[in-house]
Amino acid sequence: MAERVGVYICECGPNIKEAVDVGELTIYAQGLESVVLAKPFNLLCSASGQELLSKDIKEHGLTRVVIAACSPKEHEATFEKVLKNAGLNPFLLQVANIREQCAWTIKDKRAATQKAKAMIKAAVNRVIHHEPLEAKEIDCQTDVLVVGSGVAGLSAALTLAQKNRKVYLVEKLPWIGGQVARYEKVFPTLECASCVTAPVLDEVLHHGHTDLMSNSEVEGLTGFYGNFIVKVRKKARLVDLRACIGCGACFEACPVKVKNEFNENMDERHAIYIPFAGALPAVAAIDRKNCLRFKGQVCEACLKACPFAAINYDEKDQLVELKVGAIVLAVGFDLFDARKAPQYSYGKAENIMTAFEFERMLNSTGPTAGKILMKNKKPPKTIAFIHCVGSRVKKFNEHCSGVCCSYLLKFAHMAKEKLPKATVCEFYSDLCLPGKEAQEFCDKVTGKKGIELLHMSGADSIKITVKNNKAFIQYADVSGKNKNKTVDMVVLAPAMQGVKDSKELAKLFDVSLGKAGFFVEENNQLAPVSTTTKGVFIAGCCAGPKDIPASVAQGQAAAGCILLRLVPGEKLTISPRVAVVDSELCSGCKTCLNLCPFKAITYDEKEKQCVVNEVLCRGCGTCVAACPSAAIKARHFTNKQISAEIKGLLE
Amino acid sequence: MSKPKIALYWCSSCGGCEESVVDIAENVLTVRELADIVFWPVALDVKYKDVEAFADNEIAVTLINGSIRMDEQEHMAKLLRRKSQKIIAQGACAHIGGIYGLANLNKKGECLDKAYKEVPSVKNPKGVLPQVKTKDCGRELELPDFHDTVRSLDQVITVDYYIPGCPPNPKYIVEAVLAVLGNKDLPFGYVFAERRSLCHSCHLVDSKPQDSVINKIKRVHEWVWDPEKCFLAQDMICLGPATRGGCEERCIKGNMPCRGCYGPVENVEDQGGKFLSALASIINSNDEKQLKKIAGSFPDIAGFCYRYSLPTSLLKKKVG
Amino acid sequence: MSDFEPKIIGFLCNWCSYEGADSAGKAQREYPANLKVVRVMCSGRVDPQFILKAFKEGADGVLILGCHPGDCHYKEGNYKMLRRFSLLKKMLEQFGIEEERLRLDWVSASESEKFIKIVSDMTAKVRSLGPLSKYE
Repeated sequence: MAERVGVYICECGPNIKEAVDVGELTIYAQGLESVVLAKPFNLLCSASGQELLSKDIKEHGLTRVVIAACSPKEHEATFEKVLKNAGLNPFLLQVANIREQCAWTIKDKRAATQKAKAMIKAAVNRVIHHEPLEAKEIDCQTDVLVVGSGVAGLSAALTLAQKNRKVYLVEKLPWIGGQVARYEKVFPTLECASCVTAPVLDEVLHHGHTDLMSNSEVEGLTGFYGNFIVKVRKKARLVDLRACIGCGACFEACPVKVKNEFNENMDERHAIYIPFAGALPAVAAIDRKNCLRFKGQVCEACLKACPFAAINYDEKDQLVELKVGAIVLAVGFDLFDARKAPQYSYGKAENIMTAFEFERMLNSTGPTAGKILMKNKKPPKTIAFIHCVGSRVKKFNEHCSGVCCSYLLKFAHMAKEKLPKATVCEFYSDLCLPGKEAQEFCDKVTGKKGIELLHMSGADSIKITVKNNKAFIQYADVSGKNKNKTVDMVVLAPAMQGVKDSKELAKLFDVSLGKAGFFVEENNQLAPVSTTTKGVFIAGCCAGPKDIPASVAQGQAAAGCILLRLVPGEKLTISPRVAVVDSELCSGCKTCLNLCPFKAITYDEKEKQCVVNEVLCRGCGTCVAACPSAAIKARHFTNKQISAEIKGLLE
Repeated sequence: MSKPKIALYWCSSCGGCEESVVDIAENVLTVRELADIVFWPVALDVKYKDVEAFADNEIAVTLINGSIRMDEQEHMAKLLRRKSQKIIAQGACAHIGGIYGLANLNKKGECLDKAYKEVPSVKNPKGVLPQVKTKDCGRELELPDFHDTVRSLDQVITVDYYIPGCPPNPKYIVEAVLAVLGNKDLPFGYVFAERRSLCHSCHLVDSKPQDSVINKIKRVHEWVWDPEKCFLAQDMICLGPATRGGCEERCIKGNMPCRGCYGPVENVEDQGGKFLSALASIINSNDEKQLKKIAGSFPDIAGFCYRYSLPTSLLKKKVG
Repeated sequence: MSDFEPKIIGFLCNWCSYEGADSAGKAQREYPANLKVVRVMCSGRVDPQFILKAFKEGADGVLILGCHPGDCHYKEGNYKMLRRFSLLKKMLEQFGIEEERLRLDWVSASESEKFIKIVSDMTAKVRSLGPLSKYE
């Protein structure tokens, strides 16, 4: 049966009307094969234009529609809706871009009209080969997996839980809160960090929709967007989460003492422990690497000491399988290992430490109960804060972490508060102070007496050595002059980087790994929390260095993206503009398999054929063009359609 | 009642298609029982005027092999079309133009000059080229004209069915003839081969990894390859993925890569272009300079992409 | 040949180059009317058969514009196009199609000036080469 094509030429006010001969175009269109009507209209996108279109489709039994108007990027969606409401499949439409790519770029009316004719012919040729397409719907899980319980992960989890989504929050440590739980104060307000995070942590621990799995790690991931299957190993804590109240009787009894990694190895803990006062959940855990029982020795010290019978040596790791629709990766960051930059002598001197160490030192729950002390237990008279360690240099990391200047100023302020007589200096090459309050904060801090800002010529124009038990700092100042300074204590601000196992995580979750171990977002500008793997989102510092509010915002953003797409009771709509393999033509030559960056094509060993997963396919058509049998079809961009379009443009 | 008639004719042909008819072996007895072979220049001394004497559609089926480049061939193809109910294009030349089709990369004049003047072993001091009409000993002689380009059979007459291959597989010759004589209902343009490309039936496809890439091109005279491994997985050009199956992998079993003689899979307009796309897509480089170098290492890309199919490709011949 | 106007077919990818062409239009910048565009989602969709078909149907030049390497909306489609282009260009020499008649370039959504320059340059070059089918 012959198609009945309706061609509409929009005058777009004067825009198209004055640039091409609309009358001639209408007559030309009318004369084309399969065209049953051709009409000009003043403004097709207007309500009356849409009404006319709708009326004509029904009255004239149009089976295809061509609209010669502005760019399809402007109104293709508008007209698709009109078709749909008029009972015609929305994909039976083709737009000819005679405004942006014709009327607006050709001054000669004759030439513009000729080009418009070719564009209309091409559109008519193409639309005849269009096929009605239906957006596919698949069932989907609406539960979500959040990996990492730092502020980004917590924000994502709570946002989702508050809208009644079940959230599995998997945290590899036995305690939650990420890095912020270890800070004393946060910039620029200098509020107490635990006051800010406490309500959030409390809610996550007690919310009915959050299933917290601490001391757990994701081991396997299969499936795809809407239907992920995640394998989680819940490592045995050996202490009952419900019975233990965190009284600490067990740690005192434990004969083992090891360095406390939560306090950056500045003090010790036992093999059964809570890392610092206030860590949540307030439940002890046994460190199987150091516990005597796991080294073959007999010991029941903690079991005997526990007044609540909370210890269970027989607990085993549990492997659970979760079905979720989406995943938020919020695994945080690690600091650059300053030992890689010997110019700072980190690891070679006792009183040269990193920012994490200094944070713990400042914290009242830390190894020095909040006092700033050198290794000899005396307070320092002079402290140097070194910016850009391993940052902004080609050798280590080119990026700026964006938060160090602010927190080093915070450190300067807190150091002066605790040691009013001390001299504090900041060695910097550029100050990074973005946002509403950072500059003001800087002025406030540096306005104080005893806080010096020393301007270096470059990020790494500095060398620290040890002389007579003090740190001897040699540097080139901004004018290039060589200077030096001797201080008691040095605090280094190393670059923020992706977590140490980011490579393994990237592989496990199928996200791209970028520079410095950070994960790569789908689009730098407009899609900062999604990744090219549909259904896997990234939030917080694992996606790039950022401050706490930005991490929180990303956690909420990722949750938002998930909330709007995975709705209980609703199915997931998949765009039909995807690639489809004709199993009668596919020879299993495997040419296409390696070409898909979204891993949408798999090889069926039994049938010896390639299959495209419609959920993962993005419709780029790369495999379609490569297939030597033309066995893969790109819906809505088929070879037939494009060939017809090419022919029409050249007639 | 007399038996239905079968005819066979050859145009620009090497004779291999005739050999494949002979290769149907004892099946010729079955055919002989069902039909009379009334015209077969390689084997029977039937004249053109005898063919002209047949009524229209008197011949049940004619198998024509060879491509068309001479007036005589075009004339006979058209004559046989009139006299036959069904025409089957037999062999790669009739089906898709064949190896002769590569001559389309040169102009007619260049071909004649080469053959009659430039080839070292030719002695033609006066530079005489064949003419359509010439006088000799007081008589006028006529020779069929040599066309500008090589064409496939269906570019000259309508063709009902095709038996591809260079040479074709004898089993399909039998199948086709019996199908027509048995009045089997086949769609116009039916191709007696498999629908899927050669990889589907190739015994080496399992050895092809899923992440196969091409690093550089290795040619058959340059090294000794692993006979148990897919050619493309060893950086060797094999047109299997872009070529119809049905040949029972004769070349692969002979430890040589496929050269594309069965023509493209249906829906592919241009076998060479499609193969080029598939091959290029799996080249292991994204660097412009390196890609240019790799492209430069191919001595004759058109030659191996379009070895059999140039006349039926999109461009068909040298255009510029 | 003074009134010969070359026909150039352009394959533009939806996300970058087509957008770049639209922004040239929005800025009302004039460029040769010889270019006629086929929109594809990604330059990786461009099958060499399309390019050959364009030449066969009467195009004197074919232009393919995609996203800059590394910026492809679908990650690597433009690289696959580059690979095919490298081989195709070499092959077309044997068909007598001069290398100026086939061009692959990268235009981002904001590079309307680059788009105009490419189209103008190519049109001028192909005009000076003459029609492709002059030996018909």
